[in-house]
Amino acid sequence: MTGTQMLQIKNLGKRFPARAGREPPPWIIQDMSFSVGAGELLTIVGPSGAGKSTLLNIIAQIDVASAGEIVFDGERIAGAEQKTLHPGLNRRIGYVTQDDNLLPWRTTIDNVLFPLEVQGALDDAGRTRAQELIGAVGLTGFERYYPHELSGGMRKRAALIRTLVYDPPMILMDEPFAAVDAQTRTQLQEDLLRLWSLKRKTIIFVTHDITEAIALGDRALVLTQRPAHIAAEHPIPIPRPRAVKDIFTMPGFTAIYEHIRADVQ
Amino acid sequence: MSSADITSDLPEGHAIPRQWIVTAGRIALAVALLAAWEWGARAFGPLFFAPPLATAQRIVEMAGNGKLLTDTIATLRVSALGFVIGCAAGVALPFLLRLSPRATAAIEPFILASMGIPKYALTPWLILWFGIGDAPKVVVVTLFVFYIVLITVFAGVRGVDQRLINMARIIGASERTIARKVIWISLLPFFFTGLKVALPRAVSAAIVGEFLVAVEGIGFSIERARQLSDTTGVFAGIVVAVTLVLIINAAVNALERHALRWRPTDRDMQL
Repeated sequence: MTGTQMLQIKNLGKRFPARAGREPPPWIIQDMSFSVGAGELLTIVGPSGAGKSTLLNIIAQIDVASAGEIVFDGERIAGAEQKTLHPGLNRRIGYVTQDDNLLPWRTTIDNVLFPLEVQGALDDAGRTRAQELIGAVGLTGFERYYPHELSGGMRKRAALIRTLVYDPPMILMDEPFAAVDAQTRTQLQEDLLRLWSLKRKTIIFVTHDITEAIALGDRALVLTQRPAHIAAEHPIPIPRPRAVKDIFTMPGFTAIYEHIRADVQ
Repeated sequence: MSSADITSDLPEGHAIPRQWIVTAGRIALAVALLAAWEWGARAFGPLFFAPPLATAQRIVEMAGNGKLLTDTIATLRVSALGFVIGCAAGVALPFLLRLSPRATAAIEPFILASMGIPKYALTPWLILWFGIGDAPKVVVVTLFVFYIVLITVFAGVRGVDQRLINMARIIGASERTIARKVIWISLLPFFFTGLKVALPRAVSAAIVGEFLVAVEGIGFSIERARQLSDTTGVFAGIVVAVTLVLIINAAVNALERHALRWRPTDRDMQL
């Protein structure tokens, strides 16, 4: 059992530090426990402001936990007593954020190569891989464009493959497709599923969109409002490969959708 | 040039006149200024207003006897040296302060207080310490440049998008790499703004320094001309100084355009 668990969240809690003379701040995340299997695509769905980003920030180690612990690949990586952070856990956890966070002064190819460059791992194999990924998401021909010259969907793709290029075993995704139009979003979701089926990363994908959570996930967790905790867990037995644009015609979709919607409220 | 985008929407033939309008405007302004100058010389006499033509002749004369070159080199030497030292310190300090917010908070009032020191007034004291060579002038130039660059770079460091820094940390960049490849490049627009303010100040600080202690230089020539009531000499020195600043500015602008070529062109600022 432990061999297949990539990430375990145990009784995780988060509150911001108390200020002198004020009431202790409320818990943002309280007593949250779940685990993610190796190669699993776990979706977490919850309303805006439910602490989803805070959860991912703690897992990515750009924020500290206030209670509980996190075990990654059998190793305890974070806990309430933690003093120093290890962002990205030595390149083992990638993070695709809501904003693409591309460096505006770098072209597409230079943004995609940025992780290899800062890691001192920029070689011909890396360049070839970057070029393949650029091709895989349809950015061929846009290698020399700056981010402001790309469309929103193209920037999302560039940000996604910037994380894939250095091959972290686990990737966190924080509503990465929230800010694009519906058609582009469907395309991006299909791109993600195709890349995932090739590479079999462990992915935690956070969204407020129930359809997206069903279309992508092996399993969906439902998060409730503050303090955030897991309200329900739904396996998604829809077979793969899935056609994202036809997902609501798949048998079982409606039932899962209704269940999740009931849990979210 | 940068006007290509917006003029491409317009009928053919409009692209060139837009540039012409700017050039024509510049020429008209230059002619108006020269006319005002000439008028001033006629109205007040050559003691109060050296005529443009006499000033030009003096500069040609200075170029002929080598004075122009030696003066320019002397002033440039002092301003360049002070500029490089002040600029390096002004860039380095904010990066060091970034490492410790507490140290920054502790040091900040002292930096602000030291900014209040009248720098030219230090010159006699600096001569006491460093003698009458280039050194006291270089120190004054350094101080002027240092504070300007410090304040702009400091603002730039504080303004860096924290999300970009987090992204770089997550992909495994060291703090040094982040300083070099994220923070430094993010603050380049601030840095260039600082440069554009600091460079003319460096030249004027060198010139004022030369008023007080020098054996050559543009400031030295202006001051000597003043002592001889040679208004034409004063004007010639000022024109040389202005020209020097304009040339340096053009170089900085070219450097900025190259370093910031990634920035989207601002349509409102296009010709």
